[in-house]
Amino acid sequence: MGKSWLKRQSLLGYAFIGPNMLGVLVFFILPAIYSFYLMFTDYRFMNPELHFVGFDNIKRMLGDELFYVSLRNTVVFLLSVPVSILLAFLVAAALNKAVYWKKTLRALYFMPYITSGVAVAFVWMLLFQPSDGPINGLLRAIGVSHPPGWLSTTDTSMLAIDIIWVWFMLGYNMIIYLAALQEIPEELLEAAKIDGAKPWQIMGRIVWPLVSPTTFLLLVTGLIMSIKTFGIIQAITQGGPGNSTTVLSLFIYQNAFRYYEMGYASAISWSLFAIILIFTALQWIGQKRWVHY
Amino acid sequence: MRGQSQTQAGTGRKKRWGAAVSGLLLASLLGGCVGMGGNQQATGASGGSEAAAEGPVKLTMWGGVPPENGPQQVVDDWNAKNPDIQVEYVRYVNDDDGNLKLDTALSTGQNVDLFVNYAKSNLDKRIKSGVALDLAEFKDYDIDKMIGPEAASWKIDDKYYGLPTTRNSTFVALNADALEKAGLPIPQEWTWDEAREYARKLKESGFRYGLVQHTASYSDPLDSAMVADGYTKEDGTSNMDDPLVGKWLETLNAMMKEDGSTPPLGEQLTSKMPVENLFLGGDAAMLNIGGWLLRSSNNQKDFPRDFKIAFAPVPRLMENAADYTTSGGVGDIISVNAKTPNKEAAWKFLKWYADGGMMPMAPGGRIPASSAADRDEALKQMLGGQEATYDQPSLEYVMFGSGIPTFNRDLSQEMVDMRAQEYEKYFLGAQTAEEAMANMVKQHNAFLEKNK
Amino acid sequence: MENVKTERPEASRGASENAARRARFGEVLKPGKVLLTLIMSGFALLMIVPFVWMIGTSFKTPAEVFQYPVKWIPTTLHWEHHIRVWTGPDGFATYYLNSIKISLISTVGAVFLSSLAAYGFARIKFKGREPLFLLYLSMMMVPPQVLFVPKFIMFDAIGIYNTHWALILPGMFTIFGVFMMRQFFMSVPSEITEAAFIDGAGHFRIFFRLMLPLAKPAIATLAIIDFSWHWNDYENALVFLLDKNLFTVPLGLQNFIMENTVDYNGMMAAATAGIVPMLAVFLVGQRYIIQGVAGSAVKG
Repeated sequence: MGKSWLKRQSLLGYAFIGPNMLGVLVFFILPAIYSFYLMFTDYRFMNPELHFVGFDNIKRMLGDELFYVSLRNTVVFLLSVPVSILLAFLVAAALNKAVYWKKTLRALYFMPYITSGVAVAFVWMLLFQPSDGPINGLLRAIGVSHPPGWLSTTDTSMLAIDIIWVWFMLGYNMIIYLAALQEIPEELLEAAKIDGAKPWQIMGRIVWPLVSPTTFLLLVTGLIMSIKTFGIIQAITQGGPGNSTTVLSLFIYQNAFRYYEMGYASAISWSLFAIILIFTALQWIGQKRWVHY
Repeated sequence: MRGQSQTQAGTGRKKRWGAAVSGLLLASLLGGCVGMGGNQQATGASGGSEAAAEGPVKLTMWGGVPPENGPQQVVDDWNAKNPDIQVEYVRYVNDDDGNLKLDTALSTGQNVDLFVNYAKSNLDKRIKSGVALDLAEFKDYDIDKMIGPEAASWKIDDKYYGLPTTRNSTFVALNADALEKAGLPIPQEWTWDEAREYARKLKESGFRYGLVQHTASYSDPLDSAMVADGYTKEDGTSNMDDPLVGKWLETLNAMMKEDGSTPPLGEQLTSKMPVENLFLGGDAAMLNIGGWLLRSSNNQKDFPRDFKIAFAPVPRLMENAADYTTSGGVGDIISVNAKTPNKEAAWKFLKWYADGGMMPMAPGGRIPASSAADRDEALKQMLGGQEATYDQPSLEYVMFGSGIPTFNRDLSQEMVDMRAQEYEKYFLGAQTAEEAMANMVKQHNAFLEKNK
Repeated sequence: MENVKTERPEASRGASENAARRARFGEVLKPGKVLLTLIMSGFALLMIVPFVWMIGTSFKTPAEVFQYPVKWIPTTLHWEHHIRVWTGPDGFATYYLNSIKISLISTVGAVFLSSLAAYGFARIKFKGREPLFLLYLSMMMVPPQVLFVPKFIMFDAIGIYNTHWALILPGMFTIFGVFMMRQFFMSVPSEITEAAFIDGAGHFRIFFRLMLPLAKPAIATLAIIDFSWHWNDYENALVFLLDKNLFTVPLGLQNFIMENTVDYNGMMAAATAGIVPMLAVFLVGQRYIIQGVAGSAVKG
């Protein structure tokens, strides 16, 4: 009996997943297999000739200085993810119940996510203007005599991009946290309050562990999505100045869509894939320590 | 409640979609196999316009100029006169994404009958994929004779895969009134050292910047130097450490940092500095740009100005004027799709376009290259009734009279980008000029090695 | 029958909200709450700077765009850019309708299909569940740039290239959605479903009647996010759509890129119109991001 029950469970499980799996197979896995194959070829888009070149693309990548530069920039870029998640949690906690006008405020915090990317890029460039932008104006006003050049110098451009990305992802992370906060039984919080817990204690000891599945979700997907992002960087700096903001995904984009080096782009993509996979696997193993379902 | 009704609709739809999706899966497995072999044959066949059908031939032309800036008028003119051949203009944005879109359309055999190429690197890709027709097929138009000797720079493997249609012009636009006040003559030929002097003096006379440069023209001097001295040395290695490259780097750097007469490049790029506005608004006295400036400078409503604009050739790096070449020549290379069933009709339209049909595009700075077109009329159109606000002799001089030979940049996009990254790093102070040149040479050599 | 069942907690919820609202008018403002509101409002201003610039620019003259210091609110309102966008030869209205159609169908499909799969991953124990889920997750990690060519060959072969299906069909599958809904379903206490199992309900019944209504905040959130993804999807539309009458809003925005300049006024006028549907979805969706039934149901 136990066996047939298990079998039935498996069938049921596949019935639920089936429709989605079909799509994932067609639209993700099949193209992915093809691009995996391209990694070993010299395929250039538009060029019908295609030769098998073995590991040449990988070798080229390992000898390509720009690959390492992009890799380093990507790591710096990813530092923004945990920062944005933490801030978003605080904002979501505040906007959940602790403020007036919460619906309006929630909408305002979500605005970056839906505002035109061109406007976002333009305005941040204005704000970061080194000589007469408002940010440096403020810094000078509070006594910083040599404020940073932000986007216009190679040392600080990645930091500026990080700040923009934290700002951009805040509303998105916040709204997912808000959904998670709605699942928390009010009684728990009431009980804690009656026991004399301070608000920050409630946040830290009760709410934070309770939303840990969401934090895990945001961390895993945030890293994946950020690692794949290039649009906003393309709009603001095109990877410059120099190559100080060329992240791996932008590097892939340039190779694929600017130089049409599909084989090479595939090789970099799959290396990136390997990196994220290891990263995610570590998080997956690590989740048992801190994620409470 | 609302969420519920949504999911119910979803269930109903799910069944139909489920069927559709499973059908798709099968089809895609098959399709995937076709694709895996790198086989592209499936494409050409679907080539849009059915030539066999009665009625007018329909042509589609893809170009990068917004339709309202001339192309729509051009095809309207043609369509009115040629009821048997009707042309539709499709605009693509001439950036990476836009070119990708055109190339996707070309390689799936969508109905693209004619397309405009703006860079040799793009044309090259299209030739390799076999979508650009060798124009030698048509015997009734002598391209060298009609377009002039400059057309030859667009030959690839000694063949024309596209017809150059416009006369490109690059120049330094000058605030004539300011030059006069500062006692500076309008130069007919000058070096970067002289240009730096001009910029410094003009800055002193009260301008925020003496010289600003459009990003599209920024690295032209480098290519001019490379054309004179070669992109590679005799032994086949990179020549990007040519002394003239160093000269350019140091001159501009001094203008940015010592004289403050030109904006630091980092700041220009990351604030998307609107150089045309700076020049027309009177904040910058000189502007290194091309013919497209005229569209804005003619528009006195949005860009009011109270000074005359004069023109000078782009300054040169080398001492000897005889070695100098300038960016420009002829451009807007129009190719006929090799897979179109309407070759003859496309060719007929193309000839008409080049020989003067393109006149409505002159106000945007596009002067016809063909000797059959009325050049004076084009110039008149280009100035759009604002003749009085330009110094005409100097304009005619830079456009037709300077006699400076022209070049087309013949460097792959990868190397153009690489070079830009290295000089940006230098201008930002992240490396020395020597390091910048050494890096350029290193990467250029690696590239040459790879593409041997 | 189903409706009645799910409506009840909704209705009572609404009633209690109203009661709370009534009570609020009577209540005294709490200083702590007022302070926090002010702080959060201050930061909120920072969040909407580009939004303000976008609207402002759509009413400026071209020369005002680059004026420095920035004119956030133009002195005279130039409506002509908005009129130009909607009446111009580019057919922006068509793009708009196309975008609405594509985004709506994709979002509804994606939300439903990913909830369904997520339930399978979260609440049913079956063979190969974990590895399968990790495979799913790994597919999120493939950079999309290199999938374009294979997808494009495939779409061309099955005849959906240059149709809206090329956006809608792939758009109905979101791995992120599966992951997100899985996390939510996993955190629903098992006591809630156990009672239903004892009553003899099967998984489908539990999914439709219990879990979906419980997950309303999550579903609304996913719908908001997913919709904005589809709405802003530029790369896919660029590569897979050719005919002008199939274009979407992000492609329409490209029409404002001139040869060597950008028509920021027109582009921002179009972009301003472009965010209205996303804002609408957000505002509607937000009504469901309220204390869920899950929260109050576990007390027993």
